[in-house]
Formats: sequence, structure tokens, C-alpha cells
Amino acid sequence: MKGRVFSVIYMFALSLVFTSVVSALNVLNKDRIRHNEALRLQGLVLSVLNIAPSESVSQAEPAQLFSQRVREASLGDRPLYVGLGPDGSTVVGYAFPVSGPGFWGPIAAMVAVDPQIQKILGIAFYRHSETPGLGGRITEEWFQKQFQGRPLEVPPAGMRFFYLKPTGTARGATELDAITGATETSRRLEKFLDEELKKTVPLLLDLKSRKQV
Amino acid sequence: MASPKARIIFRKGVWEENPVFRQILGICSALAVTNLMTNTLIMGLGLIFVTAMSNATVSALRKVTPDRIRMMVQVLIIASYVMMVDIFLQAYLPEISKALGPYVGLIITNCIIMGRCEGYARVNPVWPSFLDGIASGTGYALVLLTIAFVREVLGFGSVFGVRVLPEGWIPWTIMVMAPAGFFMLALFIWVAYTVEKRTTRPKS
Repeated sequence: MKGRVFSVIYMFALSLVFTSVVSALNVLNKDRIRHNEALRLQGLVLSVLNIAPSESVSQAEPAQLFSQRVREASLGDRPLYVGLGPDGSTVVGYAFPVSGPGFWGPIAAMVAVDPQIQKILGIAFYRHSETPGLGGRITEEWFQKQFQGRPLEVPPAGMRFFYLKPTGTARGATELDAITGATETSRRLEKFLDEELKKTVPLLLDLKSRKQV
Repeated sequence: MASPKARIIFRKGVWEENPVFRQILGICSALAVTNLMTNTLIMGLGLIFVTAMSNATVSALRKVTPDRIRMMVQVLIIASYVMMVDIFLQAYLPEISKALGPYVGLIITNCIIMGRCEGYARVNPVWPSFLDGIASGTGYALVLLTIAFVREVLGFGSVFGVRVLPEGWIPWTIMVMAPAGFFMLALFIWVAYTVEKRTTRPKS
């Protein structure tokens, strides 16, 4: 009995010590981690808007470029990044985040559309926990590149913005090559991308028509 | 601490009882992170740190830790150190933290650490346990770096991101993907055993 009580107290004390140390470290580094994440997001926005290619962003300081070429606004409950030309006033595109459930966890992506909101400029999946080598391949260049230049017409009822088809069978503007072996990821991605675009595109068109962005 | 003993610990950790190719432990990360030397090096350093520190801590507490809860205690200690590594990487090496992704967190379940805590640190003094952790971690890191070297050279034509093969080199895509990790590990074990057989034969 005495041994059991000791075990409980010992485990409790040890957990307290270790979690305190880890939490303290976390608190001390929180600002730095947040700053890193902000930098990453800025680089991401610049690259989907084609303002700066992704390779050069990671080396050059993106913060300055971001402040010159991107204006932050809001699109409903999410942030909207307005990409500006080198002169700092003409709009070259809009970028906004979309997210939804993947196979193992949430997937987040940044979508960029042209100033007329008629086609996709770029898309980048930046947070996911899909299987490496299968669903995880959504971050690969070839997969993301497929979205570039696709028309952004709101589809008729019952239809989706984009369909992921088995590799090699994609036809037309709304069909894309899916990742072989990642059926579940593709299915869920197709669904949430469609839902999110149906929510955001009309909002964006509305904002634009009222000349608020 | 006598140095011959330290030498024995290192010889065991790096070669005779090498965790990867002798005990076939820690294979999951060995396959996943070995397509780039830089990631592999960071992973190896992380594992050396976690194994050495966990071993030292488990050893320091070995006389007070009740036997029946020792596993819980070990997991707690290992998890704490891994989280420290994870926080450090996120704060100071965000690019590498992103590349390693979930594999840093998965160091917690790396059998090498648990194995060394349970098999060595639990019954040995602090300093030898610390050295044993470094030795096993180094054994792991060296095998992984060897595999990563071949995979990066053939898959990307570079070493630590620096181009070593001519521009005309066509990268072997398979080397970048997970299956190459299996092939390379198997080849490594084959070569290591052959070398060992050749060196021990004259003695017998």
C-alpha cells in the first residue's frame, strides 16, 4: 500500500517537473515560432500570387516584399491577401486560405485567383497530415501546378468546381489528375475544395462589385 | 571514468551492437528521412541528444523510481526531451522542422531510446549511461548518413545540397522515394556483414 502511494506521488511530481520545463521552453520560444510561421505564410502568399517564385522567397527576406506588394483585407471570416503590381496600386490577384478535412487530419491550402476572379493563379497546400508518399504528395509541384490557369466558373447545381480523376484520364478544364493510391485524400480534397470555393468565390465577387477590395 | 570502458561502449554502440543494422531498430525514421543529408544529420543529432539525455536522466533516477512504474517514467522523460528538440527546431530551424514533419515527434516511439533506457541506463551509473546514449545515437546517425549519402547523390546529384554530379545527370527518382530506403538499408546490412566476416575469419 505504501509503495503504491509513493508510486503515485512520484509519478505526479515527476510529471509536474518535466511538463513545467517543457512549457517554460515553449513559452520562451513562442514569439519566435509565431514569427517563423508568419514569415512562412508571407512567402506562401507571395508565391501563389506569382509575385515571387517560391525558391527565391525562402532566401530573400519576404517580409519587406510582402509589405510592399500585398494588402491585407478580410473575406468573411478569413483573411484575404490582395496582391499588388510593382507600382503598388494595380491589383494582380487575390489569395485566401481554404481548409477542410483530409484523410488523417485537416488540410489547409492557399488559393490565388486573378483580378477578374475568372481563373486560378495558383494553389499551395501548406498544412496536412496525409500519408507520406501517397496523400502527402498533394504538396508536390506537378499536383499543385495542375490548378494553374483553370477557369473559376461557379458550376451548375449538383456539379463541382474540380474533379480528381485517375491519372491520365482527366479531360477538360474541370478535371485534374489525382494521386495514384491516395483515393481517400483525393475524395475529401475534391469535396472540401468545392465547398470552400462555393463559399468564397461569390463572397469575393460581391466584395469586388462593391469595390471594397 | 576509465577511457577503455568508454571505448568499449562506443565500439558496441557504433558497430558490435549497432541499433540499426544489428538490432534493426528505428527503421521507420531510417527509411523516411534519409533522402537528404541535411535532414538526416539533424535527425541523427536530435536522436543522439534525446538518447543521451534520457539515458542520463533514467540512470540518475534509477534508485528512486519504483520498478512497476518505470516504463511510464521512461516514456515521460523521453517525450519531454523530444518536445524540447521539437520546440528548438521550430524556433531556430523552421525549414528543417517542416521537412522532418511528424518524424521529430515520432522520435518518442523510436525503439532505440526505450531500448537503451530499459536495457542499459536502468542498471548503470549516470556517466556511462550518458556515453551509451551518445554511442547508440551515433551508430544510428552514421548508418543513416551513409544511406542518405547514396540516396542524395543518386536521387538529387548533390551532397548536403551542394551539387557534386554534372548538370547532365539524370536523377534516379526511385532514390528519393521510400522504397529506396528499404533497398539501401538491406544493401548496407549485406555489406556490413560481409566486411565483418572478412575481418574475423583470419582469427578463427
